[in-house]
This record gives sequence, structure tokens and C-alpha cells, in this order.
Amino acid sequence: MNLLLEVILKNGLLFDACGVIGLGLLGLAAVKLARRYQSWGGTMMAVGAISLLAARLYLTVSPHFMNDDVLSAIGPIGISLTIALPPLMLTIGLAGIVWGLWGHERWLNEETR
Amino acid sequence: MNYGIFPPLASIEAVRPVFMIVMGIFLMVIAWRLSKSTHGWTARMIVAGALLLGFGYAVMLPLYEAGSIERFSPRGHYHGSAASAIAWHSVKLVAMNSGWLLFGLGLAMHAKVFTPTSPRRQTVTSPLAPHESVA
Repeated sequence: MNLLLEVILKNGLLFDACGVIGLGLLGLAAVKLARRYQSWGGTMMAVGAISLLAARLYLTVSPHFMNDDVLSAIGPIGISLTIALPPLMLTIGLAGIVWGLWGHERWLNEETR
Repeated sequence: MNYGIFPPLASIEAVRPVFMIVMGIFLMVIAWRLSKSTHGWTARMIVAGALLLGFGYAVMLPLYEAGSIERFSPRGHYHGSAASAIAWHSVKLVAMNSGWLLFGLGLAMHAKVFTPTSPRRQTVTSPLAPHESVA
């Protein structure tokens, strides 16, 4: 296999860490915008970033502890939650970030007008 | 139930790719508009991150959901070409993660997270008078 591809596949965790750092910075910036400039878009972005982070963390961690014992312990409702919640949180997170960014951009335009 | 070859139009499976395409395009447009109010490396990072994310969300992930691209499997079982599955997986890893990293960094610079704020003013306003007896 190509050396570059091998490096990328072996260091998947590293790339995930980059994404998590980026999302964390996004959340930090959003909280700062919301607190300092009273921009409501910041709150929305923070909610979205936290939701995306939580879903990403679950998707990264779950293969390490999910087995039949855990699945039988949480029951059918828990199993359907583990299937339904991560895509839902990814969707809500993306929507929150984009909506918050839109709100912040509109707020900036009103401010400078 | 038999829906033929098309998935039901109002189902989650059918709506999710459309939602991702709309969000990806919207993200790029808003980031471009936001970058007009900033300049220098901040604008470049925001736009670069948004372009990567827009490509990921508007092109790549819908293709994954539609089944046009085969998912990466750690055990190496593929129906089609293994090389293209691995290549798309690495493209997805790089594009999505570096996209979020660049976008987050740019937005953090835009929000002035890294620049030091003005030194905190020492405004001690004690509710108690200095020599008031508390006991």
C-alpha cells in the first residue's frame, strides 16, 4: 500500500483529535462571542459544538466498551437509543452551528451598518 | 412495505442527505460573508475550513449515504474496489477533521480568543466599610 495512505489510516485517532480540537476551539469562540458581545448566535453555536462533540466522542469510544453484556443490560429501549441518538445529535449539532453562524453574521452586519 | 427503488421521500434516510447538502452550501456562503468583515489569516482560515467542510458535507457524505462510495471496513471485506474505499476514507478523514480544525481556529481568532485582553482593572468594591465590625 502507498505509504501516505498507510500513515493516514494508522493515525486515524490523530486526525480525530484534530477534529475534536477544532470543535473545542469553535465552542470556546462561540462562548466568548456569546458572553462578551451578547450575540445570540454564539449560544446556538456553542450548543451545536457541544452536541457534535458529544456524538463524536460516543462514536469514537463506543467500539471499545460495547459488547453483548452491555447491550443486554441496557435493554431494547437503550439499544434503540444508541442507534437513534448519535445521528440525531450530529444533525442537531450541524444545524446549531450553521444557524448560530448565520445569526452572528447578521448581528455583525447590523452592528456595522 | 415496498417502496420500489426510491426510498420514501419523507423518511429520515431520504431527508438527511438533502439536509447535509443544504447545510454545507449554507455554511460556505455564510463563511464567505463573515470573512468579508475580517481580513488576513482569520478570513483565510475560516474560508478554507468552510470550503473543506462544505465539500465534505455537500458532496462526500451524501455520496456515502447514497451508497455510491463503499464504507471503510477494518477487516477488509469489500464488495467493490478496496483501493477506492480506502482512498475515499482517507479523504474523508483529512477533509472533515482538518476542515473543523481550520474553521474552529479561524473562528477562535475572529472571536479574539488568543489575543490577550486588557489587564484586569483592580476595582475592589467591598460591600463592607473597611473598619466595620463584622463579629
